[in-house]
Amino acid sequence: MAGTAETRGDRTWGGSALVLPALALVAVFLLAPLGLILRYSFDKYDPIKLMLGVFSVENYIQAVADPYYQNVLATTAKISALSTVIVMLLAFPVAYYISRVESQRLRGWLIILTVLPLLLGNAVRSAAWMIVMGTKGVANAVMINVGLISEPIKILYTPTAVVIALVSVLLPFAIITLQSVMDSIPTSLEEAGQSLGHSPLRTVLGIVLPLSMPGVVAAAAICFALAMNAYATPVLIGGPTMQMMGPVVYGQIAKANNWPFGSTLACILMLVTLVLTVLSTRFLSRKYY
Amino acid sequence: MVGASFGRIAFVTLVVAIFVFLVGPLLTIVWASVFADKILSFPPSGYTFKWFAHAWSMADFAQGFLMSVKVGICATIGSLALGVPAALAIERFAFPGRETIRHVLLSPMYVPAIVAGAAVYIYFVEVEILTNFQLAATFSGLVIAHVLIALPWTMRLVCASLATANASSEEAARSLGANAFQTFFLVTLPIIRPGMIAAAMFSFIASFSDLEKSLFLVGPGKTTLPIAIVNYLEWSLDPTIAAVATVQIFIIGTALIVSDRFVKLGKAF
Repeated sequence: MAGTAETRGDRTWGGSALVLPALALVAVFLLAPLGLILRYSFDKYDPIKLMLGVFSVENYIQAVADPYYQNVLATTAKISALSTVIVMLLAFPVAYYISRVESQRLRGWLIILTVLPLLLGNAVRSAAWMIVMGTKGVANAVMINVGLISEPIKILYTPTAVVIALVSVLLPFAIITLQSVMDSIPTSLEEAGQSLGHSPLRTVLGIVLPLSMPGVVAAAAICFALAMNAYATPVLIGGPTMQMMGPVVYGQIAKANNWPFGSTLACILMLVTLVLTVLSTRFLSRKYY
Repeated sequence: MVGASFGRIAFVTLVVAIFVFLVGPLLTIVWASVFADKILSFPPSGYTFKWFAHAWSMADFAQGFLMSVKVGICATIGSLALGVPAALAIERFAFPGRETIRHVLLSPMYVPAIVAGAAVYIYFVEVEILTNFQLAATFSGLVIAHVLIALPWTMRLVCASLATANASSEEAARSLGANAFQTFFLVTLPIIRPGMIAAAMFSFIASFSDLEKSLFLVGPGKTTLPIAIVNYLEWSLDPTIAAVATVQIFIIGTALIVSDRFVKLGKAF
């Protein structure tokens, strides 16, 4: 890839101008807006003038020192961490299965089944989980029929429901990331392990797991970042008492019109995401074999 | 080897269970869209297709659907118009800062939608204050934001297509006297056509399914389908909303299967 262009370096720079329209769009409508909220995050809110045009770190102090926002951050981080751990435990066997399945057709269909939920968007996925987890939903109907419970239990609008729904949102990302890393691990290593008389489980834990560690770390970082930024899941599945960062950012900016503080919270989310994304790409490019 | 085969059965069962967890809720909502009862309860007393007609008769959903289709098509055209030339420049020409520019063009994918939506909204309002030109709550503003959602997908798929295609046939065309435009339209374009079709499908899907970024940018009475779904869900959960969700599942599912015929999906991520 890098080599192909280098060999044709003699072809004028003229062609490189083709990149400019796209670059201009990203610069004007993404980078500039991000720069703007970074600036506003240091401004101060005023009920009448909206913004005072000052420069202070007060918002950042409030975001970490105010008990309410401390609680929002802590809840978001806790839910995100728990979801990420569960996602990694579930994604690993699925990714390994997809990566090692012999039939290419089956493999193709499993990848479609994995990415379809991912691409449907959060509105539809949340609606689906609401139908499953509602008081009159499938989950309750099944459990009553089986005799597990006699009265419908409350699942929707609890933190557990948010974790369940978030796990299903994040799982496809983790499966795809892990599967591509596992594809690059030669199966001959597992065959060697098996021929030494190790059980399949021991082979996976002793050979595949350590070799796919960069993928595990990368996928976990991506999932944690996505969970921190979740909006639809906490709003619809968690209900009004569930306070997480995404909905709070929306509320501050779109409803309360407190742009400076909303920008501060958005910048905190952006920073966390940036650090985790860089970490994840670093790990993905590292090879242990 | 009884132990090994038992382990194998347990492993496959676990994988199947996880897929049920992933896909089960979606099958449930498709199922619920044909329930006869207005109030959802399992199992249903009968089946009907009337909720699809009912959903279409509701202004929010009909208008939201048409809006999402229109924005999706505009975003797809915009992202191809900007993304294909950019991918060509990055894969076929050497210039300083090329790798940095590649990352910048992929960056919209990594900026959280809620942050990007908030930032673009504030930016649009400030632009309006400065220039009197309204972008927030307009169709053009929404399309600009959606082109940015789609652009990284186009970049990824078209760059991958160009990187795997052998550039020597392009060189042959040039040395035989074809000019840059002839070479592009007669040689390069046919080679990257599958990548471009997949790029178009993914651009449309990414735009159509977006909720978080659009949330800040839509105007009253001009929402997209996902926003109409969320607004409705805050008040009620019934077969009508299941029917709307089912329509979205089928549209995106079709686009996904079409694109899989041109570019294997595992390569898109």
